[in-house]
Amino acid sequence: MTSGNPGFSKSEEFLRVSSLSMDYHAANGDVIHALHNVDLKIGAGESVGVLGESGSGKSSLAQTLLHLLPGNGQIVSGRVDYQGRNLAKLTAQQLRKIRGGEIALISQEPALALNPVLSLGRQLADVLKTHSNLSHDEVLLRCGKILRDVGFPDTERVMRAYPHELSGGQRQRVAIAQALICGPKLLIADEPLSALDTATQADILELLQNLKRELGLAMIFITHNAGMLSTLADEILVMRNGAVTAHGSLNELQDSADEYVQRVLFPEKNLLSAPHKTSTAAADEKSLLQVRNLSKRFVQRRMLSRKKFAVQSLEEVSFNLKKGSTVAVIGRSGSGKSTLARCIAGFEMPDSGKILLEGQQEYRQRDVQMIFQDAATSLNPRFTARQIIAEPMEIARWKTEVDRTARTLELMEEVGLDAAWALRLPVEFSGGQRQRLALARALAAEPKLLILDEAFSGFDLPLQAQMMRLLMELQSRHGLTYLYISHDLNFISLFAEEVIVMDAGRIVERTVPANLAHSAVPATCELVEASEKLHVPGVEATV
Amino acid sequence: MIRYLARRIGHAFLLLFGVSILLFLMFQAAPGDFLSEIRLNEQISPQTVAHLRAQYGLDQPMPVRYWKWLKSTAKGELGYSFAYNTPAAELLWPRARNTLLLSVPALLLSWLIAVPLGVLAAGWKGNWADRLFSGGTSVLLALPDVLIALLALLIALKTGRFPVGGMTSVSAQDQDNWARLRDLAWHMVLPVAALVIGSVAIILRHVRASVREVLESTYMRAAEGHGLSQRKILFGYALPAAANPLISLFGLSVAFLLSVSLLVEVVMSWPGMGPLLLEAILARDLFLVIGAVMFSTLFLIGGNLLADVLLYVFDPRIRRQA
Repeated sequence: MTSGNPGFSKSEEFLRVSSLSMDYHAANGDVIHALHNVDLKIGAGESVGVLGESGSGKSSLAQTLLHLLPGNGQIVSGRVDYQGRNLAKLTAQQLRKIRGGEIALISQEPALALNPVLSLGRQLADVLKTHSNLSHDEVLLRCGKILRDVGFPDTERVMRAYPHELSGGQRQRVAIAQALICGPKLLIADEPLSALDTATQADILELLQNLKRELGLAMIFITHNAGMLSTLADEILVMRNGAVTAHGSLNELQDSADEYVQRVLFPEKNLLSAPHKTSTAAADEKSLLQVRNLSKRFVQRRMLSRKKFAVQSLEEVSFNLKKGSTVAVIGRSGSGKSTLARCIAGFEMPDSGKILLEGQQEYRQRDVQMIFQDAATSLNPRFTARQIIAEPMEIARWKTEVDRTARTLELMEEVGLDAAWALRLPVEFSGGQRQRLALARALAAEPKLLILDEAFSGFDLPLQAQMMRLLMELQSRHGLTYLYISHDLNFISLFAEEVIVMDAGRIVERTVPANLAHSAVPATCELVEASEKLHVPGVEATV
Repeated sequence: MIRYLARRIGHAFLLLFGVSILLFLMFQAAPGDFLSEIRLNEQISPQTVAHLRAQYGLDQPMPVRYWKWLKSTAKGELGYSFAYNTPAAELLWPRARNTLLLSVPALLLSWLIAVPLGVLAAGWKGNWADRLFSGGTSVLLALPDVLIALLALLIALKTGRFPVGGMTSVSAQDQDNWARLRDLAWHMVLPVAALVIGSVAIILRHVRASVREVLESTYMRAAEGHGLSQRKILFGYALPAAANPLISLFGLSVAFLLSVSLLVEVVMSWPGMGPLLLEAILARDLFLVIGAVMFSTLFLIGGNLLADVLLYVFDPRIRRQA
C-alpha cells in the first residue's frame, strides 16, 4: 500500500519526504503544529493526491516542499530529498534553480497569483528567462506555444493583457502556463480549481489531465474533492491535523472504516441525515417574494475608444418564491445571479420591473438579509462577535441592551458557535466560523428572506455540507425562506426544492433538482456535465 | 488620457479659485492692514491715511476688491504690492524660480536615494541591517528642519568650504557663465542637503512599508516559487506593485518639500519665496501674500498632477478606470 506503483525502483523515486514536521509560531507565542511526521514518495511520472479538510496541513505541505514558508514557519524535523539532494542543504541559488525550473507550483488563488501591474507576457517570459539562456525571440515563441497549449487561441492579446483583464479561469490558465513553461519534472497543484466556477473547473481539470498524459510529469494534487482524484491520482494521502491518517488508492480508501476518511470522501452523507420537510408541508402555498420582469443593465466605458457598451445583466427576470422553501439560482459567473440578489436585497436599483415581498413593493430592507461569499470581508474586523451580531438589533432599537446580549448569545449557540467566544474578534475565528457569525447576524434581523450569495463557494466540500445542514435545521425550526445563489451544483438535490438556471441575464430553466440531469437546455447541460466531470455530489444524489 | 488630464486640470483651476477666495476671507478676518502702523504715527494726518486707503483700494468692500484682483490676475499681475509699489507677479516670479531651484533637485535626490534603499530594506526583514535602518530613520524623523538648516550653516562656518547662506558670491558676478553656474551650484549644496535630510526618512519609511506589504502577497510568493532572482523579485515585481501609494506620496512630497524649503530659505538666507512671504506677512502686504500662497498652491497642484500622470502610466488598473 505504501507505493502505489510496484514497478518503480528506488532510482526513479525523485521526491522523498521523510517524517517531516513543521510548526508555525503565532504572534501571541502559540506554536501551531502544521505538519507532523509526514512521509511521501513520488516516482517519475507518478501522481499523488493529497486530500483533507481545511486546516489539515495540505497547503503547508506544498509550501514546505519548495521551502516557501512564511517567516513564522519552521521545519522542526525530517527532510525533503529531491533527486537524492536534501533541499534544506541547498544554497538559495540552487534552490531557485529547482523552483520553477524543475518543481513548479500552481497556487490556490489564480486571481492573486499574478502581479496586478505587470503584463502577462512579461510575467510568463520572466520565468523562462530565469531558467534558460534563450534569445528574446525564442522566449516569445515558447510563450506563444505554451499559451496555445493551455488553451488560448489569441496568444498575442493574452501576452499584452494585464491580470484584471482576464477572467478567473483564464488567469488560472496563465498561472499553469507559467508553471509549465520551463518543462518541470514535478508539478505541485495546491487546490488549483477551488476559486473557479464549476464549468471552468471542469475545463481546467481536463487540461491538467491532458498535460499529465502528454508530458508525463509527476504531480502532487492537493484538493478537498475526492471525486476529482479518481482520474488524476495514482495514490491518495488523507491528511488530518497535519498528519497522514490514511493512504492508498481511491478504491482502497472507500472501504476504510475511518470516520474521517469517510467524511472527506463522501461529504454528502452529512446532509442525508438532516431534517427534511416533506414537499407538501414545506411550501405553504403563499408567495413570499414575487419578482416581475426585472431588468438591469450596466454601462461600461473603455479607454482609448469612445464607445460605451451596455452589459445586459438581467433581462425580464420573473419568478415566485414560496414561504418556507429553498430555491437555488445557478449559472456560470457573469450570468446575472448576483445582480439579481443585489436587486432583491436593495443594493442595486433595477432599470425596470417589480420586486414584491409579501405583496408589498416598499418592503423593509432588513426583512431581506444577505450572506456574502467572503465572510472575512463582510464582518467589521474591529467589532467583537457580540457587537457584530447585536448590530442589526441596535439599528432596529430592539428591546434593551440586556435582552440584546441574551439574544446574541442565544443566536451564537443556534448557529453552532460557543457563546463563550462572544468577545473574540473575527480574525480569531476560522473561515467556517466566520460564515456562521455572518449567519447569526443575518438571523438577528429576523429576516423574512435570507439570500445566500455564493455563501459557501470558498469552502471545501465537507464544510459546505456542514453549513447546509445547519441551514436546513434552522429552516425546519423557524420556517425560514432561502434564495441560494451558486455557480455549482454541489449538494443541490439535497438542499433545494427548486432550481432556477440563469444564463446571460435570463432565466433559461426552472425545474426540480432531480430533473436537472435530463435537461435539454444547453446552459443546464453544461453545468451538469461539469459537475459530473468533477465528481461532486450534486444532481445524482437522491434523498 | 487626454480626457483624464483635462478633468484633473479642471479640478486644479477650481481649487485655485477656492484657495484665493479663502485667502481673501482670512485676510478680512485678520486684524489690521498695511496702513495700521502708519495710522499710529502722529505726524501723519488722518486725512492722509484715508487718502492712502482709498488709493490702495482698502476702503472698498471685499467682493469689489476680489473682483479687481481677479482682473489684475487675468493680466498676469496678481495684484499690487503696497510695500514695493510694483505688480506682485514681478516680485514673485524670480523668487519662485529660486525656490524651485532648491526644491526640485531636493525632491529628485530624496526619491533617488529613498526608493532603492527602501526596497532593499523591505527585503531585509528584521535582521541587524533592518534594525539599524529603523533606528537611523527615526533619528532623522525626530530632527526638526530648522535644526538641520542651522547645523548646515554651522558646518559651513566651521569648515569654511561652503558659503554661509545666500545664493551667489559677489566675486562670481563679473566672471563667465560657467563660473557663475559653478558658484550657484556651490551655494545650493548645503540648502539642498538640508532639505534632502529632512525629507528622505519619511519617504524611505513609506517605500519600505509598502514594498514589504506587497512582499507578503500571494503573487510574490508565486514569483518566488517560479525561482526568480531576489533582485528581480524586489525591483521588477514588488516595486511596480507597490508603486501606487508611493506615487501619491510623491505628489504630496512636493508640497512637503516646498513648505520646508520656505523655512530653510529663511534660515540660510536663500532669496526664494520664503523670506519674501515672511516679510509680506509681517507688513500685511495683502496681494504679495496671496500671490505667494497662490504660487505654492500651483506647485502643489503641479506635483499632484504629475503624480496622477505617473499613476496613469504605471498602473494598468487606473488606466482602465479612467
